[in-house]
Amino acid sequence: MPLYVKGILWVCYLGGTFLLSGALVGAGFWRWVLWGGVGVLPVLLYSDYLKWVFWGFAWASFAAFLHYTLPQIDIVRVTDTYSKRIDFGENSIFWASEDVGTAASMSRDIFFIQGFRPNGRPVIYRNEDTGWGWPPYFKINTANLQAEANNLLSTEAAPRWVAIKHYGWRNEFLTIFPNAVSVRPVDGPDADRIPRTTIAILVVLAALIWAVWVRWRRFKAQRLDPALAGMDAALDQKRDGVSRWINSWRGKPRR
Amino acid sequence: MLAFARLFVMLMIVLTVVYVSLSLYSRAQRRAKLEREWDEEGLEGDKRAFVKAGLVEYDSSLRRKLILGVYIVPLGLIGFIVYALNFQ
Repeated sequence: MPLYVKGILWVCYLGGTFLLSGALVGAGFWRWVLWGGVGVLPVLLYSDYLKWVFWGFAWASFAAFLHYTLPQIDIVRVTDTYSKRIDFGENSIFWASEDVGTAASMSRDIFFIQGFRPNGRPVIYRNEDTGWGWPPYFKINTANLQAEANNLLSTEAAPRWVAIKHYGWRNEFLTIFPNAVSVRPVDGPDADRIPRTTIAILVVLAALIWAVWVRWRRFKAQRLDPALAGMDAALDQKRDGVSRWINSWRGKPRR
Repeated sequence: MLAFARLFVMLMIVLTVVYVSLSLYSRAQRRAKLEREWDEEGLEGDKRAFVKAGLVEYDSSLRRKLILGVYIVPLGLIGFIVYALNFQ
């Protein structure tokens, strides 16, 4: 089949599934989810180049997720603590949860801790409970942490350096802030900031992924591939036009 | 408390699925091991009774009780995190 015919068919498939998913669940979030799964995903998985794009994107998202979620340590000089009312908008996913036991709402007073890094750059943290939700820090001592941070205030002339453990990102375009998890005084701006917890979690996670990967490879080689080869041979024997037609859609030559 | 109850119930459901699967898997492994032992050593008599006796022994073994760690380890970890993060 010429390449342009394939291209036209793929575009028709994408458009058709888009319309169909809209007809099924209506416009909105779930339409994109449905179309992503039924329309876009098969196209990505069937084409060899796009497969790599897909997996690259998936792993990059996973890495970003870990970078957001796992704790990091900053050495800072705390200059002020304050609270400010925030009305959550399109950035609402980047805020944690209300204080444990209080009611949820789309608008809340939130504690902030602001300070400066040794290089003179400002950093601002929010200080929110994560409660029993995600990420699983089970942080319920927001008010205590604010008091501790307040107790460690210092000026540029007489700095007191503090290690702030936090997760999350600062992004000015979305107005989001990392969430401070703990503060402790340290000796100076060069204090140790190795994130031991993060390293431990990454090692365990890598071991887990490796264990699953190895078992999947073994399962695929021993069970899946022979079964698929058997099906392929059966189809070939039938001289069925359908299998040749399906294979012509794949980038790989037929075995 | 509602958020906590939700977390706890979800966790219990997931852990119970893991616990049941792991129990069945472990028991099947033991059964296969007993059958292999029978075949390799060329024992005489009733194979089914031999396997059954081995499984009864397994049911009261420490190894089987260790599977309870599926519940104990995550709950202990949550308890430790709550203490270490908020009350230290």
